Amino acid sequence: MSIILKNGVVFDGFTLGTEREDILVKDGVVARRGADLAEEGARLIDCAGRIVCPGFIDLHAHFRDPGFEWREDITSGARAAAAGGYTTVVAMPNTEPAVDSQVAVEYVISRGESAGGARVLPAACVSRGRKGGRMAELGLMAQSGAVFFTDDGSPVSNAGLLKTALRYSRDLEVRIMEHPEEPSLTEGAQVNEGAVSASSGLKGWPSSAEVIDIERGVALCRETDSPIHFTHVSTEHGIDAIRRAKREGLPVSCDVTPHHLSLDENYVLVGRFSSTYKVNPPLRTRRDVKMLWNAVEDGTADAIATDHSPYHMDDKDVPFQEAPFGIASIECSVAVVLDTWRKLGRPVPLERLLSLFTSGPGALLPRSWRSLGALREGARADVTVIDMEEVRTVDVSEWKSKARVCPWSGEMLQGWPVLAMVDGRIRMNRLEEVK
Amino acid sequence: MEWRHRNLIGLEGWTREELLFFMEQANYMEEIINRPIKKAPALRGKMVVNCFFENSTRTRVSFEMAGKMLSADVVNWSSSGSSAAKGETLRDTAWTLEAMGADAVVVRHGQVGVPDYLAKKLRSAAIINAGDGTNGHPTQALLDLHSAWKRLGDLNGAKMAIIGDVLHSRVARSDIQAFRRMGVSITLCGPATLMPEDTDSLGVKYVSDVREAARGADILYFLRIQAERQEAGLIPSTDEYHRRWGANDSTVALASKNAVVMHPGPMNRGVEIASSVADGPNSVILGQVRSGVAVRMALLYLCLGGAR
Repeated sequence: MSIILKNGVVFDGFTLGTEREDILVKDGVVARRGADLAEEGARLIDCAGRIVCPGFIDLHAHFRDPGFEWREDITSGARAAAAGGYTTVVAMPNTEPAVDSQVAVEYVISRGESAGGARVLPAACVSRGRKGGRMAELGLMAQSGAVFFTDDGSPVSNAGLLKTALRYSRDLEVRIMEHPEEPSLTEGAQVNEGAVSASSGLKGWPSSAEVIDIERGVALCRETDSPIHFTHVSTEHGIDAIRRAKREGLPVSCDVTPHHLSLDENYVLVGRFSSTYKVNPPLRTRRDVKMLWNAVEDGTADAIATDHSPYHMDDKDVPFQEAPFGIASIECSVAVVLDTWRKLGRPVPLERLLSLFTSGPGALLPRSWRSLGALREGARADVTVIDMEEVRTVDVSEWKSKARVCPWSGEMLQGWPVLAMVDGRIRMNRLEEVK
Repeated sequence: MEWRHRNLIGLEGWTREELLFFMEQANYMEEIINRPIKKAPALRGKMVVNCFFENSTRTRVSFEMAGKMLSADVVNWSSSGSSAAKGETLRDTAWTLEAMGADAVVVRHGQVGVPDYLAKKLRSAAIINAGDGTNGHPTQALLDLHSAWKRLGDLNGAKMAIIGDVLHSRVARSDIQAFRRMGVSITLCGPATLMPEDTDSLGVKYVSDVREAARGADILYFLRIQAERQEAGLIPSTDEYHRRWGANDSTVALASKNAVVMHPGPMNRGVEIASSVADGPNSVILGQVRSGVAVRMALLYLCLGGAR
């Protein structure tokens, strides 16, 4: 079965075209790109006025499977991701049991393959049981298909273990993803340290908790010459530390989240302590939000990753201090970013922004997956089509995800993914056929 | 004045005019307390539930007396031995209380934002915050305001020093809102480890030297120092605290002549306040307790529609 995506403007992962073009997808690959393509028996999809992009990649999502399937499972998560415009998602290993073995890695892959949603690539633990003690079987898990090593949910607090893992994984082409948090500074913390902690008395989560862990990771990266990725970076000073390391030429990368790009700490007060705004790391200051956008602009940020953290209503619809940390967003996060970008007056070029969903994260995956971030003839046909004009209301009752609590619930956002295709198979589509 | 607040979660939305109107209402209520027969029929047939998830004696009793003096029926629901101990969620507890027909739920809870949460869940019952974690204790602020106002009159331009553990104090946070709204300028004082990180954002000044804070002050407000702050290592010892920040006669001597000394209670005599100050001529500490009943009567009366 072949498909022609007709008359869209093509973003190939790096640059945005200026002319209308067609993309011919055949046997799961991008067969041709050009004007007025035709193919016997092909299904024609009208992409006029839309942007045809490489499939969007989310480096950081929690699918809660195995162990917490009432919050999400790999099937619901993968379908939610596709509904949100993603074609590849990296699933975090903080499950029960944790993904710290080959068999667990293979479980995630096989569940993902049958989900009928986005492609699910597993991240595996750095340490056995995610306990921060002994190193897990990194080599075997890499062989089975792990694409990141991380103890996410927690940092690798033991610097000796982190250094060992960086050295040991250097020849595996699988990056270590660090959740930057110095735990001695965040015990009991609930909100950003500053005006909101001052006025509420909730324990403050200082910026230094993030910066200290990033600086530590950078120092270990310098010594081991092994790549390290910092996820959900949320502060000005965290970004500064990464920017300096990049200028030094170190193999350091980072991602930022849609919620830290669009919400600040004041939402906790304006939302009258609604637990939907409780997240790790916490929502930061307006200045931090601005600095994250600067990081998007100057390339300090390599990717936008959701940190999709679904919870059941019974877990999350409780008073703020009792609630778990986490924002579920995978089904609206692309729209959140596009809408915020527009409202802020387009602070970065659109192609720069789109690269953080595509070629940026793609470059951080192991070599076998790296082509996912680009739309080229001969590449796997992973495609996301976006419509910058579409206005829709976030309706959590229709979500594929099991989560029903979301900061943008009921909000009208402009700029939505309208088609997602994985290996030539359409996983989400709101576009019409050409008659 | 048309009373527009059905709940009291915090004092953010209260104007200066509303605070003044409220003070007058509290004065009327105090007259009832002074009568030989302390009972008015204003809230007959209304059901007030005191819902205390945290230990409290004075606040709970104060609300109970306030309700009873206005002829409301007051029942006490406490978390020990109740559904909360059996694992019931707060949401279910709240819906249960409302289904039973509570007109007002007075809630004290150890966590920030619980009254906000209940106000979002409950349709018909008025929610009154009797203290939520470190966030707020608005009826304490109202009673503090009432007792200072009775003694000093117009508070516009007055100077207030709040001395002690501001970081963990819901009383300080609510007092800052209420007294600032009345035109009082506020200086915080105490160990830096017991201060919020960003005092500027609260619209107040911070000094570490208690003499500097007390000099010329019209209101000296001392906060309770809990032994657990010493255990947490935030102060070296309560003895060091007393010697550096504890209220003694020489602190009060630096304040203005008619200054009032206040404390939310219960006091740790010999830690944050010396007995000679607590029981001295400037102290209005027992007046605060009396104002507490009057203020809570006024609040129940206004929020339960007694004025309409």
